[in-house]
Amino acid sequence: MAKHSIMVIDDEKIVGDMAKLSFEQDGYEVETFLNGESALERLKERRFEVVVTDLKMKGVDGLEVLRSIKKLYPGVKVIMITAFANLDVAIEALRDDVHDFFPKPVKIKELKASVKRALGEE
Amino acid sequence: MQKSFFRGLTEVFGRDRGAASGLTTRFHAFQAVLDGNNRALEAMTEMGEKLGGGYLFDVNYTRSAYATLFSAISGSLRHFNLLTGDRYPQLTEILARIDTLVQRMLSGAGTSSSRLVVFYPEITWDQAEEVGGKNYHLAELANTLHLPIPEAFAITTTAFTAFLRHNGLEARLAGLAGADGDALAGVRNAILAGGFPEDFSAALAAALEKLRDRLGRDAALAVRSSAEEEDGDFSFAGQFETVLNVPCTVEAVQEAYKEVVASLFQAGSTSYQRQLGYDPGKLKMAVGCVAMVEAKASGVIYTVASGRERDKMSISAAWGLGKAVVDGMTDADLYTVAKGETPRLFSRRIGAKEQMVVNLGRAGIVTVETPAAQRPLPCLGEAEVIELARQAQTIETYFKAPQDIEWAIDANNRCYLLQARALRVEEPAETGSDAQAQATTGYPVLLRDHGVVVQRGATAGKVFILRHLDELEKIPKGSILVARHDSPHFVQAIPILNAIITDIGVPTSHMASICREFSIPTVVNTGSATSVLRHGQAVTLQAGEGGEVVVYEGIVQGLLREERQTAAKLRELYEFRRQKYIMRYIAPLNLVNSLEQDFAPEKCKTVHDLIRFMHEKAVQALVASAEGQGRGFNRFFGAKTALHRLALPIPVQMLVIDLGGGWRGNTTGKATGFDEVASVPLRAVLAGMLAPGVWRNEGIALRGADLLSGMTRAADIPGGANMENVALASSEYVNMSLRFGYHFNLLDCYCSDTPRNNHIYFRFVGGAAAITNRSRRIQLMAQVLAEHGFALKAKGDLLVGRLSGLSRQEIEGILDQLGRLIGFTRQLDARLDSDEAVSILARRFLQGDYRPGP
Repeated sequence: MAKHSIMVIDDEKIVGDMAKLSFEQDGYEVETFLNGESALERLKERRFEVVVTDLKMKGVDGLEVLRSIKKLYPGVKVIMITAFANLDVAIEALRDDVHDFFPKPVKIKELKASVKRALGEE
Repeated sequence: MQKSFFRGLTEVFGRDRGAASGLTTRFHAFQAVLDGNNRALEAMTEMGEKLGGGYLFDVNYTRSAYATLFSAISGSLRHFNLLTGDRYPQLTEILARIDTLVQRMLSGAGTSSSRLVVFYPEITWDQAEEVGGKNYHLAELANTLHLPIPEAFAITTTAFTAFLRHNGLEARLAGLAGADGDALAGVRNAILAGGFPEDFSAALAAALEKLRDRLGRDAALAVRSSAEEEDGDFSFAGQFETVLNVPCTVEAVQEAYKEVVASLFQAGSTSYQRQLGYDPGKLKMAVGCVAMVEAKASGVIYTVASGRERDKMSISAAWGLGKAVVDGMTDADLYTVAKGETPRLFSRRIGAKEQMVVNLGRAGIVTVETPAAQRPLPCLGEAEVIELARQAQTIETYFKAPQDIEWAIDANNRCYLLQARALRVEEPAETGSDAQAQATTGYPVLLRDHGVVVQRGATAGKVFILRHLDELEKIPKGSILVARHDSPHFVQAIPILNAIITDIGVPTSHMASICREFSIPTVVNTGSATSVLRHGQAVTLQAGEGGEVVVYEGIVQGLLREERQTAAKLRELYEFRRQKYIMRYIAPLNLVNSLEQDFAPEKCKTVHDLIRFMHEKAVQALVASAEGQGRGFNRFFGAKTALHRLALPIPVQMLVIDLGGGWRGNTTGKATGFDEVASVPLRAVLAGMLAPGVWRNEGIALRGADLLSGMTRAADIPGGANMENVALASSEYVNMSLRFGYHFNLLDCYCSDTPRNNHIYFRFVGGAAAITNRSRRIQLMAQVLAEHGFALKAKGDLLVGRLSGLSRQEIEGILDQLGRLIGFTRQLDARLDSDEAVSILARRFLQGDYRPGP
């Protein structure tokens, strides 16, 4: 069986590195990106089953990533993580059909559980 | 807490303004210190948890969490200075230094020092980055623990940067990220051909002259690497060049310096650096110039013999220089010592020691055949073994972790420590299950119970028999490397290897250290692996903690465990480590025993130390103030005092400062009993502590000697001088600090007829036993407190519990239980040898059964 694929976008390397390590431990295939632009480029080439993205990034931000993904691949689940949680943004993201929304620091266990739900494994 | 405390004060001062008005300001300041400390401790615990690996976090988080912590501790310090009349100005300076270090780490900036050379005795706690890990740790052994090390000085990372700049190498290094072998060789050559800035040469000349003055003209040096992080979380064992026997002249040391620095760019070493997130050129290197010891014998100490033998340490020893042991080239003596107050020689195995490394002065360092008569002789006598073991225990206790220590004894039988670094020890694994037996059925056994397990684990792959080091580059990914000898050169292949097996080798070599760091299953000294196993053959290696080694032919799927531990892999992330390192200046507690000389303001090195020191001295200042007040009253009015000495039928002395209605009688000076206590919450908690069966008086043998002596000493000291146990009490409020040996309990409680005003804050920290047992005690306390509805935070050996809004009767009942728990767990950690014991004892405790045994 092919591995489930996850894309992680965060402008801080440590977030992507830690997420990659944790998800790979569970047998997922993971690609990480440091900005929205490069992630969207990659999405033109291939689909990922779940995308975990930071909200606040220079250039293309998390909400834009979310909208672009929903256009390209309506079925792909997007999980948003952010250090600057505010209700308005959360509501906006919900309107755009975000799968889940976490404040940073996010417990890795909870993020993994959310990914499992997104994949319909739980 | 704020509210309740002031209510306590109002009570006192409202009723008897004259009696306590001199204390008002101090009480306010004291309260603010406690409050700031509590907030700082909580911020610290929270940070430790979030940076511990279980959370995704970014630098923004670290910044804001540190800002919260810093604001809390700064506030605490401000009030502390008010309380003590600026008696400890050092603390302000230390906090500023910690802040500078942390801010620099947060911004990723390097050291700002301009010093090029530092002698070891001058290296201080905040210079790790400047002198590199290896210099720093060795200096610490002498400066803090007063253990013997050779004369030495460090050439700093500032000097390293100056050297690179002088030779125009800075830009070249910045572009080395994806560099190939040729580019690296180019850099090495440029370094070897490099010159030195004038101030560098001058500083070096001055240092060498000083050394020659002390050691004589013929003194020689070992010039060795001390990279940032070296001997920290990662050992870099055997990664860099060490040049031995270097004469004390500027030219000779400069040549050696260049060789050491050039080794940063050796292919094997750069692959190790890459594994840890350092692109070539990113790592800064300080260098150590250490006087050579004319070693008669030398070797390595592991303060934990193995995961299953944590109560024993192993000392390996060979004739001559230590190279023979760390390179794994000789069959060394092995002494096992049972640790304890008086270490005891448990067993010894005298090795064949066919070869030794000797220093022939001008003729160099050479490996020679050991004279036949010398081979069967033990390198160490029992007294020497015990002395080494004592020193090793001191080091392990200080660093609070198992250690890997190099030592040498010279011709005059003087012992020197040459290096100390953390030793990775794994928790023992389950072995011998039925499932395992089933999984291996039908697979032929190629090798059984040969060799020494360096790193346990089960793994499979194709055998690659290495005949020559040149073949290292040809090893396919996922191979099991099989070789005649072990070698630090194997490190460059470690990212692609599944396991290493050698014919000859020792578990104390550099290669062994590195295999443990990266959790690569490794077995050495099998005697026959290269002849029994075939090149290209698919095999499964099972290396057990108990020393069981089995190599099966074929891939035994049932044995293969999950991938390497996440924790081990996380440590390899550079950014993760960098954030975590900030905690080094925050969380460790160095100031433990307030009765020891080292309990001094200038010994504080972390935020936790500052908190501990301030708490202790704040209580003292308050007691002194209350005492003065009492004396004043005695003088003028002949009777009333706010300070009372409580005598209990358990070995606890306590001072009670009456804030109003906390004390019944008018007794002064002499010790008085429980009946005099009028404070509702203090009575309740004391009643629990005094409940039958809770307070066990018998000591526990083990390493508890420290703990017991701590107690005895505390009890020996006349009341006024012993400020360890103090309760500030009013009729409905208590703030109590209790110290037993290395355990600190803090209770703050308001207990009135209005439930919404009531609260309990309980904090426990410390413990003298091994860290696992300490954590178990915390687990036990947490289980009990959770039953009573406390909201809990636990991290390492710190536990904080809060509860509020309960009725007076409920609070009293819980305080009684808390008193019992304080008494019950006082000496317990020595007995908590398993996780099951925690649950059993917690359950029993809740049923009122206070037997300590399993």
